Amino acid sequence: MKSIKSLSILLVSLGLLFVSSCSSDDDSQTTSGQPFVVAFESLSANLNELGATKEIPLVYSESATLSGSVTISLSATNAVYGSDFSTTPAADGNVITLNISPGTSGTNVVFNKLNNNLDETTEIVFTITAINYEAGQIQGNTSFTISNSASLGRALEPSVGGPNQGNQVYIDLSTETQTVVVRDSWDLAFYSGDDFRVGLNASIYMAAANLETTDIDAITEADVADLIPVVAIGTFDPTNEDYIDHPDGDILLTAIDAISENDNDNPVYLVNLGFEVGTEIPDPGSVAIAGDARGWKKIRVLRSGDGYLLQYANLNDTSHQEISIPKTPEYNFNFFSFNTNNTVSVEPKAEQWDINFTVFTNIIDGAGSYGFADGVLHNRKGGVLAYEVLTDQFEYEQFSSGNVNNAAFQQDQRAIGSNWRDVFDGAPLSDRFYVLKDPNGNVYKLKFLALTNDQGVRGYPEFEYELLQ
Amino acid sequence: MKIVLALFLLFFTYASKSQVNVSVDTLKRERLEEVIVTGQLNPVAVEKSVVEVKVISRNTIERQAGNTLADVLNTTLNLNITPNTSTGKSGVSLFGLDGQYFKVLIDNVPIINEEGVGNNTDLTLINLDDIERVEIVEGAMGVQYGSNAVSGIINVITKKSAKTDWEVATYIQEETVGSEYELFNRGRHVQSIRLGHNFSEKIYVNAGFTRNDFAGFYNNRLGESYDQNDGLRGLEWLPKEQQNGKALLSFQDEDMQIFYRFDYLNEVIDRFNDIVNPNENPATNTTDPLALDEIYTNNRWYHHLNATGGLWNSLNYNISFSYQTQTKDLERYTYRIRSDQRENIESGEYQSRSAFFSRGTVSNLLGSDLFGLQAGYELTNEQGSGSSLAIVIQPGEDRVTQRLDNYDVFSSSEIQLSERFFLRPGFRVSFSNLFDNQYIGSLSAKQKFKNNWELRGVLGSANRTPNYDELYTFFVDVNHDVQGNPNLNPERGVSAFLHLKKTSSLKDGALRLKNKLSFNYLDLQDRIELIVVNQTPLAFQYNNIDSYTAAGIFSENEIYYKNIKGQFGASVQGISKVLDSRVDADDDFLFNLQLNANVAYTFPSLGTTFSLFFKHIGRQQQFVEKTNAQGEQEFQRGETNPYSWMDATIQKSFMDNTVVATLGSRNLLDVTSVNTTAFEGGAHNGPPSQIPLGYGRSFFLKLAYNLNI
Repeated sequence: MKSIKSLSILLVSLGLLFVSSCSSDDDSQTTSGQPFVVAFESLSANLNELGATKEIPLVYSESATLSGSVTISLSATNAVYGSDFSTTPAADGNVITLNISPGTSGTNVVFNKLNNNLDETTEIVFTITAINYEAGQIQGNTSFTISNSASLGRALEPSVGGPNQGNQVYIDLSTETQTVVVRDSWDLAFYSGDDFRVGLNASIYMAAANLETTDIDAITEADVADLIPVVAIGTFDPTNEDYIDHPDGDILLTAIDAISENDNDNPVYLVNLGFEVGTEIPDPGSVAIAGDARGWKKIRVLRSGDGYLLQYANLNDTSHQEISIPKTPEYNFNFFSFNTNNTVSVEPKAEQWDINFTVFTNIIDGAGSYGFADGVLHNRKGGVLAYEVLTDQFEYEQFSSGNVNNAAFQQDQRAIGSNWRDVFDGAPLSDRFYVLKDPNGNVYKLKFLALTNDQGVRGYPEFEYELLQ
Repeated sequence: MKIVLALFLLFFTYASKSQVNVSVDTLKRERLEEVIVTGQLNPVAVEKSVVEVKVISRNTIERQAGNTLADVLNTTLNLNITPNTSTGKSGVSLFGLDGQYFKVLIDNVPIINEEGVGNNTDLTLINLDDIERVEIVEGAMGVQYGSNAVSGIINVITKKSAKTDWEVATYIQEETVGSEYELFNRGRHVQSIRLGHNFSEKIYVNAGFTRNDFAGFYNNRLGESYDQNDGLRGLEWLPKEQQNGKALLSFQDEDMQIFYRFDYLNEVIDRFNDIVNPNENPATNTTDPLALDEIYTNNRWYHHLNATGGLWNSLNYNISFSYQTQTKDLERYTYRIRSDQRENIESGEYQSRSAFFSRGTVSNLLGSDLFGLQAGYELTNEQGSGSSLAIVIQPGEDRVTQRLDNYDVFSSSEIQLSERFFLRPGFRVSFSNLFDNQYIGSLSAKQKFKNNWELRGVLGSANRTPNYDELYTFFVDVNHDVQGNPNLNPERGVSAFLHLKKTSSLKDGALRLKNKLSFNYLDLQDRIELIVVNQTPLAFQYNNIDSYTAAGIFSENEIYYKNIKGQFGASVQGISKVLDSRVDADDDFLFNLQLNANVAYTFPSLGTTFSLFFKHIGRQQQFVEKTNAQGEQEFQRGETNPYSWMDATIQKSFMDNTVVATLGSRNLLDVTSVNTTAFEGGAHNGPPSQIPLGYGRSFFLKLAYNLNI
């Protein structure tokens, strides 16, 4: 019947067409009716970590075109306005009024800490109570809390570095901090825990093979010629899993065996140094992770007291270099770089990071090792746990501490991994979010907002998180 | 449906009142004028041709209200039209081979597109408004038409003269797209005007302009301004608008004809991404949805200068020069859906191609009626370019460009060995800057028997040149190694056809029949496939490795009785692929049945012709590598379900043929897609389970005004 209707329209229209054969090129209906929202950019700040003044930013849902104002009410527990703290603009009877000016996309309140001895019982809460603006609506981050608690949450955009994904970004959720490290600035990770283990930099696709000898100076390139095409990532030979640290992050599953007290049990390894960070600019939506190959080394690691002794050389060298590498308590690893021939600073302290945005090496069943971009690995060695929740079970917004399933927490550092994104759509998968427990027992829910920037360029992730309490 | 019928009847009964005497002998006239040029030494009547040529006449095109080649070929036997809903293109598949193996020519000159010269043609870009007829030859035609004429050719012949001083031909055509229609933003809207004038007996000029606005097929999709990320944004078939201007200048006297033809085409295709980035602001809990949209713009310029004539009373020459370019540009932008703003606009060339082409022949070299000899040359200087968005190349490389220069010489002769036996050998040598010399031969023979029986045998060969993906793909990263192969050779094709034909005239000529039974065989060697060239690390490269055979039998029959013209065909084609690129591949023949019927009935008293166009494509099978229940890889028979096309039209002329109305329905059987298991999944996604074929039953009305004074 639909076709009959369209046929009659067709017949009628034909008459009209004789008169004019022009075209209008716009059939878009305007999707206005969106509210104007003013909200706090983040949810909280830690009183102890504040300086004398702290800017508290507020953002608008879109650039203001009119004038208006926001009313914020103030409530303080165990702190007195005027003596313990103050604000700019000043509060008038616990009410702060901020102007909304045309052309601006946000404003802020300044918090002035007047008393440095406020204790953990102090809590100061700012709450938006009115938005005087056309179609103004109160929603989103409607309040901001200053206390001694862990961060209540916010959105973050880790500086992964665009389509080359040149950085590893360590995030500490409870303090809202990011630590950015260039991916190819280190090679080997010497474990600082009880075990004697050495990890490879999986973010530059390193690989290592046991050469079944203890004489590092005797090895030549010819000896390893057969291994060169094999000891690599992405060869689609399942046996290549032996040459990488297991991607689940278990320190007992490194490519290099445990370093023995007995030197004769510590063989020489052939090490594929992987690839430099790529420099090509790929088409939007693609990545260019790997740049030039970094070559090969032969290494042998021994114990040295409570630390390590690293011996290393280029493949054809008949002598080697040595460096003693101590364990670094409070950190997961002590990192070493062949670029600097020295230890380098990479990870924050073990308890001061939760997730790491990084390229990583994964395993695809039946196909062996495979390089992955856009990875998010949690700090397994530091005691972080995480799991995935599908939105057909719980909606992110509604998910609360009562919904946390402690049995579901995974040690596998790929609980988030690359499962959060769809590279073909160039977007995070909207049907899932994550729950994470940090080393201090704080439980957060985490949702990914972006894989790309507005132009569809990869390597610009964004996520939001919220403390479950 | 009753209402539709009533409307039809109302329209035509009302209209016919003003109408008394109309001469409708168009069907008959059409037969007499059927002269062809494709593959001939000189233009000949279709019956006299040694090679077998099918003709789609102007009349048939009109009755089908065909605006582009894609509109008129879908009920042709053996030829399948394959629309690509995500690029907006329509290709050809013949004997199971895609458009790379099929060449489209206009007036014997291959027509350019961004991916080929003659082959890979998008049929929707070939407008038919100044076309006199379409000639189709199945089988390899490499001697006459060079590379890539493997499965066959289409030669579109334009109109180059007029009987009257002035000709005005104009029409508008309004068409639904499935059940979608609105005055501007839904459906298909075509407007065309063409003027022709004989300045003198020797000089004829015509010029025309056509606008073809296809608003796309929404189906259940919600268009550009939809802002949810649920896969419903955009359109199922991409909307596109074409503007096509043409001009012809012709000089003709007793000894020669010179014409210059110009054709400019502009096409704009909008691609609205179905993926919407909600662009959530977590602080305010609001969204500002974005989509990454694309606009493709095609510009094609075509120039063709041709001279034909006689020399020294006996020699005939035919020489063409053509320069053509086609550029496809891509504009990409971020569309801020709610505020209707385009941001981050980036535009650049996507693919382009330009070619200088020249072809010259001299025939009747021996001046003998019994031994016709033709010698000719063909040269193509072709330059193509593909950007990194069109072809996977090394990151950082902007584009690949390639020059292909072909210098060919060829010769054909037509030998009349007896009154009834004709032989036609041909040979071509092709020299190029990229490939080894190619030697191509053909041999055709025709034997006439008593009682109007004729037997034709046609042996032909042609090669397909490797495409840019096959030559230049470069996808190498830590996980992948897939590379093109610059050392590829052309694929080599050979075809053999046998046609047995009988024309009969019964009842004192009132009933005429033409029956034809044909056998075809086509073989392709050195087929290019992507194969594993190294196991660890795994590496793929394109190589000349496989072979392909299509063999079949088909019959085409025509009947003329009083006011009925009918054409019925049936075809069974078997395809066998020898996949040396795969392990344990199966090279059994897989068969496909096709049936077609085109019937026209004319009421002379009403000036009305009813036409029905039908084609059935039977079950199509294909071996696909799949994982079986035991988890092993094996080759299974994948299947695409059968489907049928049917179009029906009523054409009525008024006021001594000055006004012609055509009302019709395309795709009466309401086909949209067919289910298939004949595809293999990719590395990152499963196989498609449906092939989109059409947008469902649609209706059109075309009103044409033709003035000849």
